[in-house]
Amino acid sequence: MIRHHPDEALLLAYAGGASDEATALILATHLAYCQACRARMAKLEAIGGGLLQDLAPAQMSQGALDAVMAKLDTVLPFERPPRPVSRDGTPDVLRRYIGGDLEQVRWRSMGSRLSYLPLFRRGSVTARLLRGVPGAETGMHRHGGQEYTLVLKGGFTDATGSYGPGDLQVMEGELRHNPVADPGEDCINLAVTSGRLKFETLPHKILAPLFGF
Amino acid sequence: MIPQAPELNALLLRVASARDRAAFAALFSHFAPRVKAYLIRLGAPAALAEDLAQEALLSLWRKAHLFDPAKASAATWLFTIARNLRIDAMRREKRPEWEAEDFIPGDMGGAEDLLALADEEMRLRAALKELPPDQVQVIELSFFADKPHSQIAGELGIPLGTVKSRLRLAMARLKRALGDAE
Repeated sequence: MIRHHPDEALLLAYAGGASDEATALILATHLAYCQACRARMAKLEAIGGGLLQDLAPAQMSQGALDAVMAKLDTVLPFERPPRPVSRDGTPDVLRRYIGGDLEQVRWRSMGSRLSYLPLFRRGSVTARLLRGVPGAETGMHRHGGQEYTLVLKGGFTDATGSYGPGDLQVMEGELRHNPVADPGEDCINLAVTSGRLKFETLPHKILAPLFGF
Repeated sequence: MIPQAPELNALLLRVASARDRAAFAALFSHFAPRVKAYLIRLGAPAALAEDLAQEALLSLWRKAHLFDPAKASAATWLFTIARNLRIDAMRREKRPEWEAEDFIPGDMGGAEDLLALADEEMRLRAALKELPPDQVQVIELSFFADKPHSQIAGELGIPLGTVKSRLRLAMARLKRALGDAE
């Protein structure tokens, strides 16, 4: 059961189309897990539809309708691209960024207990996958900006609570935490961060910048 | 009188089922100028807004068979098409989007059925007009500013927490107006 959801503002920014791509990715992946937020999202998009209905119309150019009508016979009905079959339940939206399933990821090691895979970076916002063996600690840190973490497999616990598959954690600024992977299976997260993480302890302080954190 | 949700939904279903060109023309006349206005609000130059509005309506024609009035009204559905086209064209990014087939079973916590939103559109628009101006403003900026809420807060000269609490209040009122017990 999912207990940690995006707040209204975060989901509304996604519904309105203002989220940056990495934030949109983590929200879309949360939606793949969370039926409750899909229902919330439908309502927020309905506000967009309501606003569209009530906008003062702008004048279309002369002949716009004729031009589009003339194209109707030349375009093919939209067909959803064939969907690759995921073997381990990796959401399709995330699969497109990984280039395959979670179980196919070629992890880059960061010490003996943590590994990661950079997905992409836009401006100061980075999306990456993180993986920790049970008991692995991220290291106590604060945040230069926002840090969104979505659990994909396993779980982790820190001073703010416990997080399992589908849970989204939002941390920002001076909030400190040291997530520890729960016992059992490896914990795999999708993490989106803006700004650098500020680690408080060695060796994280030295190592983190080397890995781009 | 502008056409309302039930009528617009019916037109779109005629496009889906019969490739009805007259129904399409009616939808075009209603929606294309509104999509163009939406794109201009978001900073598109008039010529680009015109092109994208035409493209959005062409997408409506191509995707009409995917429209499901139990999930969204015609206006809401077209809004999502226009929103995604704008992100593609103006931000040159893709919009990651969950897909219905993506649904990962097992999470039934807090599950609620998708409401039949089409019928609620008029009530929703009426409720939007009843909101206090400071709440309407943050809702509108969420759709028309293409900025994160932190930046919206900065430009309004109010703390982010205030923006968020106005959004929460607005959403609570809208849900009440829709008869949602939460």
